[in-house]
Amino acid sequence: MMPSPTITRPRPLSPNIQIYRPQLTSVLSILNRITGIILSGCAVVLVVWLVAAAWGPHAYAPVQAAIASWIGRIVLFGATFAFFLHLCGGIRHLVWDTVHGFELRSIYISGWSIVAASVVLTVAAWVVSALMGG
Amino acid sequence: MIIKSSDQVSRATLLKRFPIPRNFGVASESRIERGKAWPAPDGATRTKIFEIYRYNPDSGENPRLDTFDVDLDDCGPMVLDALIWIKNKVDSTLTFRRSCREGICGSCSMNIDGTNWLACTRFISDLATPATIYPLANLRIVKDLVPDLTHLFAQYAAIEPWLKTKTTEPERERLQSARERRKIDGYYECILCFCCTSGCPSHWWNGDRFFGPAVLLQAWRWLTDSRDEAKEERLDNLEDPFRLYRCHTILNCTRTCPKGLNPGKAIAEIKKMMIERRS
Amino acid sequence: MDPRNMRDMRTPLARAMGLGSAKEGVGAWWAERVSAVALVPLALWFAASIIAHTGSDYATFIVWLRTPLAAILMILLLIALFYHTALGLQVVIEDYVHSTTKFAAVIAVRLGCCALATAGVVAILRIALSG
Repeated sequence: MMPSPTITRPRPLSPNIQIYRPQLTSVLSILNRITGIILSGCAVVLVVWLVAAAWGPHAYAPVQAAIASWIGRIVLFGATFAFFLHLCGGIRHLVWDTVHGFELRSIYISGWSIVAASVVLTVAAWVVSALMGG
Repeated sequence: MIIKSSDQVSRATLLKRFPIPRNFGVASESRIERGKAWPAPDGATRTKIFEIYRYNPDSGENPRLDTFDVDLDDCGPMVLDALIWIKNKVDSTLTFRRSCREGICGSCSMNIDGTNWLACTRFISDLATPATIYPLANLRIVKDLVPDLTHLFAQYAAIEPWLKTKTTEPERERLQSARERRKIDGYYECILCFCCTSGCPSHWWNGDRFFGPAVLLQAWRWLTDSRDEAKEERLDNLEDPFRLYRCHTILNCTRTCPKGLNPGKAIAEIKKMMIERRS
Repeated sequence: MDPRNMRDMRTPLARAMGLGSAKEGVGAWWAERVSAVALVPLALWFAASIIAHTGSDYATFIVWLRTPLAAILMILLLIALFYHTALGLQVVIEDYVHSTTKFAAVIAVRLGCCALATAGVVAILRIALSG
């Protein structure tokens, strides 16, 4: 029978996310994922809203009231920002898929641009919405 | 704000680390403990504090973070010079890989102030205070700053990084035009330091199956070499939800490459070739 | 070959090769991009429509949803949205879940998206075709 080897302690794993510096690259990427997950939740809400609308005004009213409540509005504002960030980020990804915009300078310019564009679009959407009679 | 080349160190930063606890999700053998504060050198006027990850496999202890005071007037300008100074003057057990000291061998790759780079091409004057030095992220540590690169090199071997041909060998060279030769520019220069792979979050979570940017950049180097005749086989071996498609274009790789190469772009080229061959 | 971290005695090359290449993966990648391209105009149209209808009452909203254009675009939006969502969430699960729960989670996500898309389409058809 083979003698059992001495159990030596396993080698430690060097830290990764605990010490790696957050950079525009990784931060925007994880934000694209987080906003995507948020929007998946919004998709569920969208279906609930449509089903409520299809089933008549008695079903629609409470759903609409929840959305129009102050909590609902805060969530909707966040969802709008998530939507525009994911949309702009998604377009940035589609451009990358054509193998364009990979130089570091372009990566950083496009990165900051989508952050700025998302903020502007979110504010614009809510301003227009307020003007339309919200 | 706008980074033009990978050697630029970000001056301003919102966060030095992600806002999670220091030992978050860390297995017990990897927990980093507080370490020794080594004595400052006598009579030094210009010093800099370095916090360096230490691990001694023979001591039975967990890794720790030691603090050193380096006399900047007594040592060269690069981080590698500081490490060598510490080894010569303060603690001779400090262990790290190094060879060429000019950024071409890839030995001294490590995590400096939160990003992966070569110690021999990073200026001490570009560092924060205190400077923090960890080994390359997410790798098993042999000792101090020396990671075990076995798995990464195994992934490299798995892509068969050599010329594969079917036609019989010509009398002299396999011919290649100047334009064809330019296609491997930006890819053949990789020194396999693995800064990129070690900085890729997707490789952190799926490194057992995802090949990572260094290996995929080399895969592209062979795919785009006009003399190679095994494109079909190479693409078949890469077309896998994990080997290639765990890349989500995070682009930490391109940001951190100490040779200014672009693994993110190489991977995008592979994905484009994948589509082109079926449409 | 380091005995300290070995769960098994395979060579490093064997561990790196794993079960070999699946020889497929470009399909899902392409479908996610196609659905993304579809979603750019559809989602923008939807957002614009919602903004334009702020403050409208139930009846106005139903009249709008009954128009053929709105009904068709909403159905297309739901299809593209849930296809894109299912693919995206599957990738997220594969990234972070490594136990056998992964397969159950992926199935749940795919079937859930099918169910939700169907519910939404039926709702729209019910509105569009009634009255």
